[in-house]
Amino acid sequence: MAAVSQGFKTDLLGAIPSLRAFAVSLTQNADKADDLVQETLVKAWDKHESFQPGTNLKAWLFTILRNEFYSQMRKRGREVQDSDGIMTARLAVHPAQHGQLDLKDFRGALEQLPEDQREAIILIGASGFSYEEAAEICGCAVGTIKSRVSRARTRLQEILKISGEDEYGPDAISAQVTSSPAS
Amino acid sequence: MRCVEYGKSGLSAGKYKGKMKDMTKDILTGAESRRRNGSGDALGPNSEIGRKLKQYYDALVSDDVPDRFSQLLSQLEQAEPAQKKD
Repeated sequence: MAAVSQGFKTDLLGAIPSLRAFAVSLTQNADKADDLVQETLVKAWDKHESFQPGTNLKAWLFTILRNEFYSQMRKRGREVQDSDGIMTARLAVHPAQHGQLDLKDFRGALEQLPEDQREAIILIGASGFSYEEAAEICGCAVGTIKSRVSRARTRLQEILKISGEDEYGPDAISAQVTSSPAS
Repeated sequence: MRCVEYGKSGLSAGKYKGKMKDMTKDILTGAESRRRNGSGDALGPNSEIGRKLKQYYDALVSDDVPDRFSQLLSQLEQAEPAQKKD
């Protein structure tokens, strides 16, 4: 077993903030999230040789974290997520005014999503992964990720009573400009 | 050279080195990137959901990292030489 390089350790350290964010998004619980991150780091350390340098370390780590999360869930049997019911009841659903909506409300809405939809929209909309990477992390097809993201977005809009967002995207021309190859 | 296009999604081209599925990506990249940048997948800066999602996540990312993690990595590092087998 080759020694873990200093660079690998540094990269692991650098990935911790992202791992914690993803873990909280999955577990919706700060303590569980940190335990999950700890497990992930230990696993990553143990199997560092299976990581191919030059590939996306963050995606690799997210995959480990996600697998760990679901295997823990299976072991425990699905815990009753008591926070869900409370949050749902407490969640004040009111229309977003002038495009503003409270972050707390948003968090509550996010909690109501099924895990698969929540992780998909987080990976794509917040963690900055491509659909291909998200599909690899979740071990499913790109199309599956797309439909989960789409359902998640629709569901969030319903919960938060936001409508007609689609019309506000960048127009075709700016889309062309932004998608032109970067030298 | 299609591979240069990968850079624009915020991920460096280097990260894709050695990745398989490049052929599939080649085909997908054009439409994919347009869709991603075009509608921002309806999760871009013009989308309330997209903005909130990033706000929610960025707050989590910028949370202070407890010492336990760097301690853990140091412990793992110290334990390492003993585990060397070959």
